Amino acid sequence: MQLTPDETTVFTLWGLGINETVVNTWIVMAVLTIASMLVTRKLRPDVPPNRWRTTLEVIVTGIQRQVEEVSPQSSRHVLYFSGTLFLFIALSNLLLVVPGFTPPTSSLSTTAALALSVLVAVPLFGISRQGIGGYLKTYIQPSIVMLPFNIISEFSRGISLAIRLYGNVMSGAVIAGILLGLAPFFFPVVMDVLGLLTGLIQAYIFAILATVYIASATATVKKSDHDLDSEREHKEQDR
Amino acid sequence: MSIDWVTVLAQIANFLVLVWLLKRFLYKPILKGIDSREAEIAERMGEAKRAKDKAAAAEADFVARQQKLQADQDALAERVREQAKQQRDALLAEAHEKMEQERQDTLAHLARERERFTSELYQASAETLYQLAGRALHDLADERLEEHIALHVIGKLAPLSDELASAAEHAEEAVATTHDPLPEGARQEVKAALQARVPGLPLRFATDESQSPGLVLRIGSLELAWTVDSYTDELVELLKERLASGESGRVNAHGG
Repeated sequence: MQLTPDETTVFTLWGLGINETVVNTWIVMAVLTIASMLVTRKLRPDVPPNRWRTTLEVIVTGIQRQVEEVSPQSSRHVLYFSGTLFLFIALSNLLLVVPGFTPPTSSLSTTAALALSVLVAVPLFGISRQGIGGYLKTYIQPSIVMLPFNIISEFSRGISLAIRLYGNVMSGAVIAGILLGLAPFFFPVVMDVLGLLTGLIQAYIFAILATVYIASATATVKKSDHDLDSEREHKEQDR
Repeated sequence: MSIDWVTVLAQIANFLVLVWLLKRFLYKPILKGIDSREAEIAERMGEAKRAKDKAAAAEADFVARQQKLQADQDALAERVREQAKQQRDALLAEAHEKMEQERQDTLAHLARERERFTSELYQASAETLYQLAGRALHDLADERLEEHIALHVIGKLAPLSDELASAAEHAEEAVATTHDPLPEGARQEVKAALQARVPGLPLRFATDESQSPGLVLRIGSLELAWTVDSYTDELVELLKERLASGESGRVNAHGG
């Protein structure tokens, strides 16, 4: 039984084998991009929105509202990042119903790539928000003793993100495959419907967790009384 | 289950490309459209608010103008009412004055009418009295009355001695005319009285039925009459004098 689409090479390009994961990812990217282009190509302020544009507006504003609920002071870059995560994972999981299509999120490489992206994006957003000193200071909060635990926590949550998404999607596909062998007609349909729901929930969880991590990294560190006293003493000395 | 790190790198690259693509073709256009629509809605709401404020200001201005107009109208109505009252008072005063004047004129006219009527009444009374007196004297006149008048003439000649003498110088005779023939005794007494005043002047007695009862003595151009007509003429003259002098017109029995 094949558990990951990484092992299936679709074609070779310049001597490099392009597996099914990458191809299916391109398909998802193409669907998202082409749909967006078709809907927004004739977008003008003086033209009333049609139903497709309204649908996209509902999706985008819904994502924006969720991001703002988690992180009120977040910038639009967080929306781009978390929104893309959600849309990509959700569409990948929804395409599970297409016969012969293996969601790229069922590949541990894809989920690891997404988790690595989050793992890199979190400090980048934090540094862009607080500066490198302010961000690194969060690793020694509330005391320097917590530094190794914070580093472990930072990496472990990336790993948990990847494993959680991979496990859910892959397990859905595996269970559907097993049930297909036992009861070829009824159970796979039920499991696929359940897989659609699970896929949307997983997309939501992944995007929300990424947003929460980014929000925690970009949140301004509350200065302790000791820090405030030190700043005051420094100012008096400068005078 | 293993991780293909080449695929991982490819997926990271794919994801980053997808982020850029969706930012370029989805988020920015959609958010820009939403922002522009929100801006347009905000602008329209602002315009609506400005229009509402303008309408409220116009309404306030209208209300103020209406109140001012109402106040002006009330003031004008009050002024007109005051002017009408003054005009009415003036007209009433003028009417009262005219009425008073007319009343005074009417009273004066009535007084004049009364005066005139009284005068006419007195005059008519006098004329009636004269006519009645003359008729009564005519009806009652007889020879004895003429005799009495002749005897009365004798007494009247004394103060007229000079006029008689002057008239007698150019006269041949004196003529005494009566309505009826005088008795002889009366004739002698009249003759004796005239001879006493004008000696030598003959006296002739004559009768004239057209003459009123009494005696008329003519000496040349001198004519002295003591007849009923002369008495009544004297009465009329006396009444005229009284009426002309503005007296009450009442004439006593003695002729004033």
